[in-house]
Amino acid sequence: MDPLTWTGSLGVVLNPVMLALLAVAAIGIVAQFVLPLVIATNQRGALALQRGPADYAAMAVQYSLFGIIAIIKIYVIAAIVGPYGIAGIVGEVGARFLPVWIALGITFALSITFKRKLGLYGKLFDSPIGMVGFGLVMFWVFTAFFADMIMTHDPLVQEVVMKNKVPGTPFSGDEGAYPHYLLGGDKLARDVFSRMVAGSQIVITIAPLATLFAFMTGITLGLPAGYFGGIFDTVLSFLANLILAFPVILLFFLLVTPEIEAAGLPSFMGMIMFAFPILFLIVLFNSRYFTQPTKRLVLIGGTVVLGGWLYMSALSQDRTFFGDFMGAIDAFDLQDGILTVFVSVVFVNSPTVFRIVRGLALDIQTRDYVAAAQTRGEGPWYIMLWEILPNARGPLIVDFCLRIGYTTILLGTLGFFGLGLESESPDWGTTINAGRQLLSAFPHPAIVPAVALVSLVLGLNLLADGLREESLRD
Amino acid sequence: MAKMDYDGPILEIDKLSISFFTRLREIPAVMDFSCVVQPGEAMGLVGESGCGKSTVALGVMQDLGVNGRIVGGSIKFKGRDLAEMTAEELRDVRGSEIAMIYQEPMASLNPAMKIGKQLMEVPMIHEGISEKEAYERALEVVTDVKLPDPKRMLESFPHQLSGGQQQRIVIAMALMSKPSLLILDEPTTALDVTVEAAVVELVKDLGKKYGTSMLFISHNLGLVLETCDRICVMYSGEAVETGSIEDVFDKMRHPYTQALFRSIPLPGADKSTRPLRAIPGNFPLPHERPPGCNFGPRCDYFEDGRCNQGDIKMSEVPGDDRHGSRCLKWEEIDWAAPMVVTDQKEKAEPGDVVLKMDNLKKYYEVAASALFGGGNKKVVKANETLSFEARESETLAIVGESGCGKSTFAKVLMGLETATDGNITMLNQSIESVPIEARDTDTVKNVQMVFQNPFDTLNPSMTVGAQIMRALEIFGVGDSVEARRQRMLELLDLVKLPRAFADRMPRQLSGGQKQRVGIARAFAGDAKIVVADEPVSALDVSVQAAVTDLLMEIQREHKTTLLFISHDLSIVRYLSDRVMVMYLGHVVELGTTEQVFAPPYHPYTEALLSAVPIADTSVEKQHIVLEGDIPSAMSPPPGCPFQTRCRWKNDVPGGLCEKEVPPVRHLAEGHQVKCHLSDEILSRMEPVIKVAAE
Repeated sequence: MDPLTWTGSLGVVLNPVMLALLAVAAIGIVAQFVLPLVIATNQRGALALQRGPADYAAMAVQYSLFGIIAIIKIYVIAAIVGPYGIAGIVGEVGARFLPVWIALGITFALSITFKRKLGLYGKLFDSPIGMVGFGLVMFWVFTAFFADMIMTHDPLVQEVVMKNKVPGTPFSGDEGAYPHYLLGGDKLARDVFSRMVAGSQIVITIAPLATLFAFMTGITLGLPAGYFGGIFDTVLSFLANLILAFPVILLFFLLVTPEIEAAGLPSFMGMIMFAFPILFLIVLFNSRYFTQPTKRLVLIGGTVVLGGWLYMSALSQDRTFFGDFMGAIDAFDLQDGILTVFVSVVFVNSPTVFRIVRGLALDIQTRDYVAAAQTRGEGPWYIMLWEILPNARGPLIVDFCLRIGYTTILLGTLGFFGLGLESESPDWGTTINAGRQLLSAFPHPAIVPAVALVSLVLGLNLLADGLREESLRD
Repeated sequence: MAKMDYDGPILEIDKLSISFFTRLREIPAVMDFSCVVQPGEAMGLVGESGCGKSTVALGVMQDLGVNGRIVGGSIKFKGRDLAEMTAEELRDVRGSEIAMIYQEPMASLNPAMKIGKQLMEVPMIHEGISEKEAYERALEVVTDVKLPDPKRMLESFPHQLSGGQQQRIVIAMALMSKPSLLILDEPTTALDVTVEAAVVELVKDLGKKYGTSMLFISHNLGLVLETCDRICVMYSGEAVETGSIEDVFDKMRHPYTQALFRSIPLPGADKSTRPLRAIPGNFPLPHERPPGCNFGPRCDYFEDGRCNQGDIKMSEVPGDDRHGSRCLKWEEIDWAAPMVVTDQKEKAEPGDVVLKMDNLKKYYEVAASALFGGGNKKVVKANETLSFEARESETLAIVGESGCGKSTFAKVLMGLETATDGNITMLNQSIESVPIEARDTDTVKNVQMVFQNPFDTLNPSMTVGAQIMRALEIFGVGDSVEARRQRMLELLDLVKLPRAFADRMPRQLSGGQKQRVGIARAFAGDAKIVVADEPVSALDVSVQAAVTDLLMEIQREHKTTLLFISHDLSIVRYLSDRVMVMYLGHVVELGTTEQVFAPPYHPYTEALLSAVPIADTSVEKQHIVLEGDIPSAMSPPPGCPFQTRCRWKNDVPGGLCEKEVPPVRHLAEGHQVKCHLSDEILSRMEPVIKVAAE
């Protein structure tokens, strides 16, 4: 097999067009800033509808960007329908993501069709920023979901000849295997592309879940702190400040130190933190349904049994303090180190959530509907969970999106320092760290996961921006 | 910039149309609006919320935001079209030629800048005068707005002043450049009645002194009567009637204006013999306006095929000074016809005593520093020796301005706080020291509350039905979900809401509808005592009447005791049997409505009565303007709480007012006041409100 070039035979035709469009876009962007300074414009508030030179520059930028996107689309479509290699690496990588494109297409088509009936989620599709963000995030979610279909090689298998090979190098391994290392090989001769795809699975599962647990902890402690105030609030706020003031990296180093792990600190912390969601749900159902004993029994019983089982399964892990005590009835087994990483991430995130929730509770508890609930003799937990919390959801949803982004970076940081996960792990932080050592000679093993990380976090931030913007409008 | 010299009208608005563009549609906010303001004239712009009156003001300021656009007509200021001015020219005009005063004074002042600096900025920017000159001018203007100690005022930050003082500073700032046009957008809505009266008085005087034209935007007809020369009534984006105050108030020529006057409690209205007449139906949403006359569907004189055909133009009423009406039928309607009183009600007889307060005291301890405790503890005396009785099916009004302790009293009654001292006996049960958690379900459901702010009273994330059902659940009404649902639907019938509303979210309801749901929730457990905390003050006039009547009707049917907390004496006179006036935690006067509204008064009641604007040209009012603000409850004045603002203080010999809290005196059967004034002086008092003989 021949090595693949970036854009294949199609590139010969399309690359000059692409370059021209890029040049137009660049000139346009510069012109947009310079023109208004050079030429005096007669802007007259909202009534000015005449187009000035700067507006034309903006249009040029817009259309050239559309053109660039169109050309990339042509590459991908050509690779899907045409013979192998016609559109080079760009086309083939795009073609590997085919299941993701289809899923994204269906999601967007359905969402845009029914956007007026979908509440805040539907409103997201009125904001271009929100749509881009949502698209980026869903791209990685679907990539994680379809990872087995997308990956070209086993992310952990080493093929000695492929060591540090550049993108597009032909793969000389078994017959029937994928013919190229699309994005090259790393220093241990593993396929960079497949590792990036496999890494998305780890990031996409841990980051939202850890954020969710941080939210559960923060909400369960923040609501009573804001609602009751007093000593309870003072103590909890002080603890939260203490954790926030402690250097995060140092905290991580402490938590993953073998001695500390052996003493069971992460396991005990997990024991406390994993209890919060169960506690939260029990209080939630109890406060609402204590007037209907049957319904309450079903809901709380279900929560205790199912939650308890998952709780025990999460704690019963090999090579941790508790060991795998659940044995056969264990719901799942985690990779080594994930429990510690998970616990650390929840631990450093929950104080911030606590403070946000506490502030919102302080604000919302002055509303009349809270007073109305008090005067009809509702219990404090009903007021907190059913009167205050649902009305604090706007800022919390936005913060949730942003926080998944922070958590993703935090996971990257952890991986980069080699904390927690094994060095073999394909997660993006660990891969960036591994690629860093030969960065000047072979940049591609580090750049690929870095770009992936950037795009996911960017997507989450844009999504949060879009949500915030749309929730403020009506 | 030099002021433009110009003789013609200050402001000419001609066929102005303003629309807001949302992502769904264009929403016309103002349509075909014309008005002219002559130099020195005060123009009142009246209408319910959402009628477009503030949009007109923003249009004049050319500040409509990104979504708003003027889609037709012109606004001429001193003959120049504002739409044709450049941004720079507009900047010169704003603040110097046209000044605007907003509703919320705190939001209009920069909290990080001293008052003096903020005031001096205005002429320094617009006229380029020196700092020294600007300081002189600031001092002069602050003296003009009658603030005490002007030099110290200039050195203060906004948060150091009270709401009334802040609003005076905002007015001063507007006057710094001696503008030709002053736009006041509900300038007193956020203030207490007595403070409002003083600010209105000030605006009137300053208008005369500086010769400024004014555009006064308000929903309160009484205020407009007191301040303006001309009035323009707006309804759903259109001016429906315009003319001089006398013409519009006394010989209105538009059905909406008439309906509006019939729905406000003027002296003479009575809940049993002459009830208010609410305007039927709802205010149309801007994108759901009916064809033809916007008021058509709610109008008594509506004629199908005529009123709903095509646009209706403003037509002149001949013989009057620039009096116009946007009604096709105004010449045919018999305007002198008396109001048809549809349903006269039996006056309910008060029954047994259900609630008795005896020497109730509520003190709060406020620590100087919350974090470390200790420090100086201050005691806030929120309620001081409160004693009264309330009977079955009686309406007791509790009147007073903010900080008088009426909300604290409600909290203690509801059990959210426990009393410091004294007794509350409800249905022969002593409840003063039983917090709400310790009360049994019967006690809890017997005392319920209707809240002030309709936008706050319902949980925005729960359907209306679910919220009422929750109250039923808690009160133990009905034994199954179906039974409770049935009861909830009956409650919706009771408050005259369609049953389909059960599945709506609160945001889909209008303010009045939300307030009805709040009433339904309060009556869910057949409450014996309902505390209504200003239940209608945040609603529009036309809706107020409907909600008030609903409350009265339910009360009559259920023989409920209603404790009606309000600062609006017009509505209090209309609906209450007895009135209790509170000031700084003290009950200063208590008696039947007739006793309280007729002399002899407590001096505070007298001032309060005088402060309430009444929208009736035949009413003559004595003008009593209270100086200063309500003292802080943290450091109440020694002796009588009202002595700092009382105009009768000098009639009490020996400075007794400053030394001793006056004792409670019984003037007549069931009429008591807390005042040192001698019987002889009290009997000399004249009525504050006189209805002139016609």
